[in-house]
Amino acid sequence: MTATIAKLVMRRFLVAIPTLLFVSILLFVVLRILPVDPAAMSVPPNATLAEIERMREQMGLHLPIPQQYLIWLGDLLRGDFGTSTHFRTGVAGLVATTLPATIELAVMGMILGGGLGLCGGLLIFYFRDTRTEAALDVGTIAVLSLPDFLWALFLMLVFGVVWQILPFTGRLSPDLDRPVVTGFLLLDTLITGQPKTFVNALYHMILPAMALGISAAPPIIRVLRSSLLDTYQEDFIHQARLRGLSERRILLRHGLKNAILPTLSLMGVQFGFLFGGTLLVEIIFSYPGMGNLMVDAIRNTDLPIIQTVGLTYCVMVLLVSITVDSLYLILNPKLRAR
Amino acid sequence: MMRLPPWARSGRVILGLSLVLIVVLCALFAPWLAPNDPNRQDLLGTLMPPAWAPGGSASWPLGTDSLGRCILSRLIYGARVALTVAVIASTGAMVLGALLAYAAGYLGGWVDWLIGRIVDIWLSFPPVILALILMVGLGSGIQNVILAIILVDWTRFCRVLRAEVMVVSQRDYVAAARLLGFSHMRTVIREVAPATFPLLITLLALEMGIAVVVEAILSFVGMSVGSDTPAWGQMIADARQTVYQAPWNVIFPVGAIFVVVFAFNILGDGLRRTLDARLTQTERS
Amino acid sequence: MSLLQANELSVALRLHAGDFPALSNLSFKVEAGRTLGIVGESGAGKSMITRSIAQLLPRGFSVTGGSLRFMGQDLLGMHADARRALFGREIAFIPQEPLSALNPVLTVGQQMQEHLLHIGVRRGEWRDRAIAALSDVQLQDPAGLLAKYPHQLSGGMCQRVLIAMAFVSRPKLLIADEPTTALDVTIQARIMDLIADLRRQHGTAVIFITHDLRLAAQICDEIMVLYAGRQAEYGPARALMEAPRHPYTRCLQLAVPAMTGPRRGLYILPERMPGLRAVRAMSGCRFAERCPLADSACLAGEPAPAKVAPGHVAACLRPEATASIAPPPPPDHAAASTTAGEPLLKLDGLGKVFVTRRRLIGKPDLFSALNSATLELHQGEFFGIVGESGSGKSTLGRLVVGLEQPTRGRIMLLGRDIGNERAETRAFRRENVQIVFQDPQSALNPRRRVAAIITQVLEAAGVPEAERQVRARELLAEIGLSPESAHSYPSQLSGGQKQRVNIARALCRPPQVLVADEIASGLDVSVQAQLLNLLLRLRKDHGFSMLFISHDLSVVRYLCDRVAVMNRGEIVETGRTEEVFANPAHPYTQTLLASVPPDQAAADTLDHQGATP
Repeated sequence: MTATIAKLVMRRFLVAIPTLLFVSILLFVVLRILPVDPAAMSVPPNATLAEIERMREQMGLHLPIPQQYLIWLGDLLRGDFGTSTHFRTGVAGLVATTLPATIELAVMGMILGGGLGLCGGLLIFYFRDTRTEAALDVGTIAVLSLPDFLWALFLMLVFGVVWQILPFTGRLSPDLDRPVVTGFLLLDTLITGQPKTFVNALYHMILPAMALGISAAPPIIRVLRSSLLDTYQEDFIHQARLRGLSERRILLRHGLKNAILPTLSLMGVQFGFLFGGTLLVEIIFSYPGMGNLMVDAIRNTDLPIIQTVGLTYCVMVLLVSITVDSLYLILNPKLRAR
Repeated sequence: MMRLPPWARSGRVILGLSLVLIVVLCALFAPWLAPNDPNRQDLLGTLMPPAWAPGGSASWPLGTDSLGRCILSRLIYGARVALTVAVIASTGAMVLGALLAYAAGYLGGWVDWLIGRIVDIWLSFPPVILALILMVGLGSGIQNVILAIILVDWTRFCRVLRAEVMVVSQRDYVAAARLLGFSHMRTVIREVAPATFPLLITLLALEMGIAVVVEAILSFVGMSVGSDTPAWGQMIADARQTVYQAPWNVIFPVGAIFVVVFAFNILGDGLRRTLDARLTQTERS
Repeated sequence: MSLLQANELSVALRLHAGDFPALSNLSFKVEAGRTLGIVGESGAGKSMITRSIAQLLPRGFSVTGGSLRFMGQDLLGMHADARRALFGREIAFIPQEPLSALNPVLTVGQQMQEHLLHIGVRRGEWRDRAIAALSDVQLQDPAGLLAKYPHQLSGGMCQRVLIAMAFVSRPKLLIADEPTTALDVTIQARIMDLIADLRRQHGTAVIFITHDLRLAAQICDEIMVLYAGRQAEYGPARALMEAPRHPYTRCLQLAVPAMTGPRRGLYILPERMPGLRAVRAMSGCRFAERCPLADSACLAGEPAPAKVAPGHVAACLRPEATASIAPPPPPDHAAASTTAGEPLLKLDGLGKVFVTRRRLIGKPDLFSALNSATLELHQGEFFGIVGESGSGKSTLGRLVVGLEQPTRGRIMLLGRDIGNERAETRAFRRENVQIVFQDPQSALNPRRRVAAIITQVLEAAGVPEAERQVRARELLAEIGLSPESAHSYPSQLSGGQKQRVNIARALCRPPQVLVADEIASGLDVSVQAQLLNLLLRLRKDHGFSMLFISHDLSVVRYLCDRVAVMNRGEIVETGRTEEVFANPAHPYTQTLLASVPPDQAAADTLDHQGATP
């Protein structure tokens, strides 16, 4: 059984490769139709036309787009992500320092979002066919109606500005030293044995992660609730009651185990989107992750960064969806046995 | 007395439609409703609090921003951008997504495979990232915002609708229509498509809310309309600089976005319930 | 003291407008070790009885009167925990849909374990007990089965697992709600035998709920016939079958085609059973509207169940008159069809292989649904194709109408090969062959009106609206629907009416050959009888031939001139219907025929009584 799962997961990885290839083509082509000239952006404002032309050649922009793409792809496969036209440093280094922060934030958001989603779904289901259900349901829609970056602003205002109980800028208070081992701050502070810094980092993460989690939860709540309602229409639930099982057992062992499947596939999509949400949340909380890097790069039309960061986001989304699909395989016997 | 169809009797639909109607009226009659010119700066009266707060003035009911512009007037005018984008972009995304979904779901085979792979590629982008990258490529401006939303969000329609079209296409009445001499085109138009309209309408309502949010995001990072056109996202970005002095300035545009998105969401939910459109994976992100 | 005793049990749907009775004053009892059959058509209230016992009534329904006692304990007033302690232990249930009654994400072993631990088996012993229980229901390799998931088993195997779970606690009472309706007829027979065996072994009392009077008569000691929530007749199975004392029982018997003896006509009950709303407005006998013997006295007051013989009650004012209801004359088959001359349709070595999975490299997975079918259909002939699920009978039908293309062999219609997708073939086929689909729910577009549906072929040909309306009215008259129903949507019609509309659409431009795929299954017997006679009448008027695909042998025997028996993609036997049914040559046909419950109550029903203490 584990062998079939491993095989199916491997296949999922293989399918992701061509997808990623087309993603990179799409990215590249979109960024080559842009109206501003990146060469002109990366020379001093008083440069002559000839200097700009030389820059174009230096950046390879005079070549046909397919050729440019192949050169870029070749470099990418060799581990060369190019040089930022604005910062004049390697893109790989910039991404490597910001990516862990983003991943850390996103994972925290997923944990909160998943937890809130599952609890909320069970709660609404518990109140089915009552007035409470309708109220909770409209409440969910209300929560859903505020996108993540507005939740971020809202939480910042309430907990940071008005009540001033939680920090809302950066990853760490400026007076603390930041250990660097893996780049994941929570992990590094634990490894190096700095509990105080760990707690400080955790505090800094609460508001941005909550913004991500709260806005990821409502769809999960709704899907879990409706899948539970669907599952409870099934004969096997009825049959379990006729066998004299308790309602609690029916819910946990028979209801939830089936209803979790559609919920899980939604979570795959949902958590992929959550990575996109980190971008604006990072900006609002001045969180030094990929989102801030991306927005700076967009302001400076720094194509190597935009391309690489864009691609990195896609890799993250694909990883999340592969993880969720694998989990789905483990939980759904029908998919395994074919 | 004529009996109203179930959707028109749903509390959610009525609430949603009423809210949408109010916002539409604000947008249409902005010049008459707004107390001030939204772009007139009053550098002596910057960051005024709302009228009811100490130091507020009745001429600026919701106060002024850091350039001394009337917040209420800018909110009312901002509804124009939000609704324009919501209506045009969602309709565009629906048309593109639905056409591909009908092709994929009805024809099946390699057409379905190809469209499925394209959707997969699109889904590996977080929508916000793809929209931003498209805006980098297309350049800012409201028409490009609309185009970017269409190019990003068609998959939301395509994915859900394709599954529905496949289910409907399996029904015997579709096979019967073919056996009775209907062409493929006619079968899709007369037999398959009508069964998907409830779902389509529901998705459209939800997508309008999403479009409002995406426009706000893009104008928040300064890639939507120019600074002379008031837009809610822009107002939030501006107000963020002075959040300590004037938290109200953040709250009002956030509230405006919330109300509009809530209106579309509750409308969509009401339609879903009353039109019996099954949605599981379509909830917005 | 009876094991289970219902006394004046009433259940109603409670709305603001008042109570709508679903069950009215039902009294019955089940003695230890005995079998009670509860028989009725859909809407009669059969499953409401199970749900009352389980106290799992649908939303809005509640018990409005009477009592229900199990071993002297009050089931209705009992605390939920006490009831839960009875279920699965003293009272066991076998469901209607075995495939969906097992949890798809748990293995058979996990579900057996859960149940065994629940009924108090010790943790170390559950495995042995589970294996023993699965062997008791004659499942092969019970130990291996424990690791399987429900979707890896067939419907029959799932039902055996559920039966094993039901009997493992040695229950005093077993309630089986249509346990074999979803299964093939040969499986059905084996499952019924199994239940009967276990019942005898353990002395379990059984309540057997079914729509099939003959099946009930075969295995039950007593039978209760329900009509619109009322007890029509209640008595010993044999007496009730041989001399029914309620007209409804008699009509039910006569609405089902006979399996043996000369063909007889089907008794047609007009209209249909009144629903909850109609029942509420009634004051007289609920069956009176449809009863051939009813008079003004029947409409005046509701007759109470009265004793007609020891242990035999009937709710009729004139029970003795029931015997006067006679079957109508048999249909005239000889005149309509001729087997002489050139056949209309000829299938020659027809085969279909499906690709179930394509691979990038290597051979695709194949499934052969139809191996090699050869048969001839003559002008005006009704040709039955019988077989169980997976026999390839539906594939054969789909090939003939062109929904699938054959991978082997030829389909000759009027001397022309129609086994391809060329435009001129399609047009020719459309003129001459039409299909009636099995499930009207899926076959009728819920968004179109009846008139538009039945004249769809004219719409495709560009015939103007006015002409179509005229044709629609003609067709409605032919199928016995009112002209007003032209403006109805399918959802506003009953099951039988929908199936008529389904037929009308295929006959709008009368074809030479009609393919009908299981069009009478899933309908109540009285509705089915109406439909079969309609087909015979339409043949007389239009002279078309029909490939009638069905799993129901008695229906085929009534309707068809010739029959082909299919098994696993092969036609194993073909011949004139009476001959095949009277003297089946192929062993599979023999098994199939032996699995159908006989027309009369089995002779050994009385032996059951002897077996109980």
